[in-house]
Amino acid sequence: MNCQRKGLWTPLAIATVAAAALSACGGGGSDTTPAAPISSVKVMGDSLADSGTFGYKFTVQGSAPTGAGSTPIWPERVAANYGVTLCPKYQFTGAAFNAAAGCGNYAVGGARINNVTAPTSAASILKQMGDAGAAGFVDGDLVLIDGGANDASDLIGAYLQASADKGAAYAGLLSTLLPPGQVSAALIAGPTTTAQIGGAYMVALADKFHDAIAANVLAKGAKRVAVLNLPSIYNTPRLQLVLKGIAASAGPVASAQVLALSKGWIEAFNTQLNARFAGEERVTIVDFYTSFNDQVVHPEQFSFTNVTDPVCPITGVGADRLPTYTFPTCTAASLSAMTPPAGATGGANWWQTYVFADGFHPTPYAHQLLSQLVARSISRAGWL
Amino acid sequence: MKKKFSLGVVAGALLLVAAPIAQAQSAGSWLIRGGVTRISPDVDSGNLTSPSFANTQVDVLPATQLSGGITYMFTDHWAVDVPLALPFNHDIVGAGAISGVGKIGQVKSLPVTIFAQYRFLEPQARIRPYVGLGLTYASLYKERSTATLSGLTGGSPGIPTTLRSDSRFGLSPQIGVSIALNERLSLDLAYYKTFVRTRTTLSTGQSIDVKLNPDTIAIGLAYRF
Repeated sequence: MNCQRKGLWTPLAIATVAAAALSACGGGGSDTTPAAPISSVKVMGDSLADSGTFGYKFTVQGSAPTGAGSTPIWPERVAANYGVTLCPKYQFTGAAFNAAAGCGNYAVGGARINNVTAPTSAASILKQMGDAGAAGFVDGDLVLIDGGANDASDLIGAYLQASADKGAAYAGLLSTLLPPGQVSAALIAGPTTTAQIGGAYMVALADKFHDAIAANVLAKGAKRVAVLNLPSIYNTPRLQLVLKGIAASAGPVASAQVLALSKGWIEAFNTQLNARFAGEERVTIVDFYTSFNDQVVHPEQFSFTNVTDPVCPITGVGADRLPTYTFPTCTAASLSAMTPPAGATGGANWWQTYVFADGFHPTPYAHQLLSQLVARSISRAGWL
Repeated sequence: MKKKFSLGVVAGALLLVAAPIAQAQSAGSWLIRGGVTRISPDVDSGNLTSPSFANTQVDVLPATQLSGGITYMFTDHWAVDVPLALPFNHDIVGAGAISGVGKIGQVKSLPVTIFAQYRFLEPQARIRPYVGLGLTYASLYKERSTATLSGLTGGSPGIPTTLRSDSRFGLSPQIGVSIALNERLSLDLAYYKTFVRTRTTLSTGQSIDVKLNPDTIAIGLAYRF
């Protein structure tokens, strides 16, 4: 049947004939050309965006840990819309990060905006942006950046340690971005200002992030940059365990206070990030924060069946007494082969509708939804 | 199809020859018109089924196309009218939670309507208002999705998300007016609203119900045989 012929004048009583013809033509075509001429995708960030710096991805592994057959994570899914394949720029040898030629994903698991211990390593998102900026950007580049979750986690950890170390770690971390005088004054003045100074740190962190993006990405020629804001990491199983621990030892009020504090700090970062990039047409901020909260509050809307438990098996206990997981052995095949946890649905696919792979990282399906969120933002910017 | 149309014209012409000299728009008159029609969907979108952002909706943009129609006067007042048109191309854009993403697809529409009309005043009247009620078959076909829809629903260039819209029947109440320009020619203006809904299904298995309820405005120059 030649569907083209339906473009002609249609006489009256052939509605039924037309209907029969339609079911044969059906439609269902697709124009896969994106709205913007994007020819390469460059990524900077942390484990969420890491394509395999350490030989695996920070989620459930596919039939291969990296490359073909591996689990597509959100930046790879976004890149696929433009026909672009990503590979890790840095490859960790056990001692050093070797730069791989031709690879555009600079993201490294564990990377921080403010990497205090290794500011010049690839585990610094600023260093990643510096390297990418030195290589230069072209008009056809789409740049995807995430960061700050490990920084926020550091800050919360340091704050919680204060009862044991008299605030030394907290003060030390705060002082890396804030004037020492301001930090000591806040810590001396009492618990309220002690909590508030963490918010000031997160604002300074957002400034540092913004300034680095402006100097190393925008000023180096990038015209299309999507930046994820900070997700509500207190929803992760890892932070939920910490909060439960506080509730058990110090009571539910103390736990609720830490939760509120974490929420305030993350929102302070996101508010500042929005403010600094306001009016910047080359940058779109992806509201990961709101979306992640939506997923946890309304799992059914996103076809999630579990928003609290990691799918990967616990393989140990860390120094912080929290469970640890081993991504290289947490494969799709191994999860499908195991007996699903009580209450799980979907048979061998039970793990595909969970949010969390381990205590801090999303499942492949949650990565897909994150890619769809990014797609919404970059479509609104006119780039997809 | 073009051939059939020509045959229709020929049939009309033959009829004209056979008919006695008729009054303007009186019983037995054939009117054939050509003009332009604009269809503006007045969309009331449902929400895309999960997994999706809450309140993921769509809008369907207006389309204009060359059009025409054939009217046959059964009596001096009662007529049957069939509008004809080239297929309309409607863009489907995101709304609600995905407002601002732009075009997510397009669909061709070919509404086929048969109106029963009542024309007021005398056949010779210079201005004849009319009312009508039509049965419409809104055929929707040749749907094409965009890269945006794929991005929003987890598709890729290799496995793009595609869409398909159901064709449905609907009722079309109509008002119009025919203004005689001379013995044979008249200007025809019509407005009608079609109450029709559709369900669009994505290749991901998700679906969205949409009330299209288009407002149609047609203007044409009619020739009476």
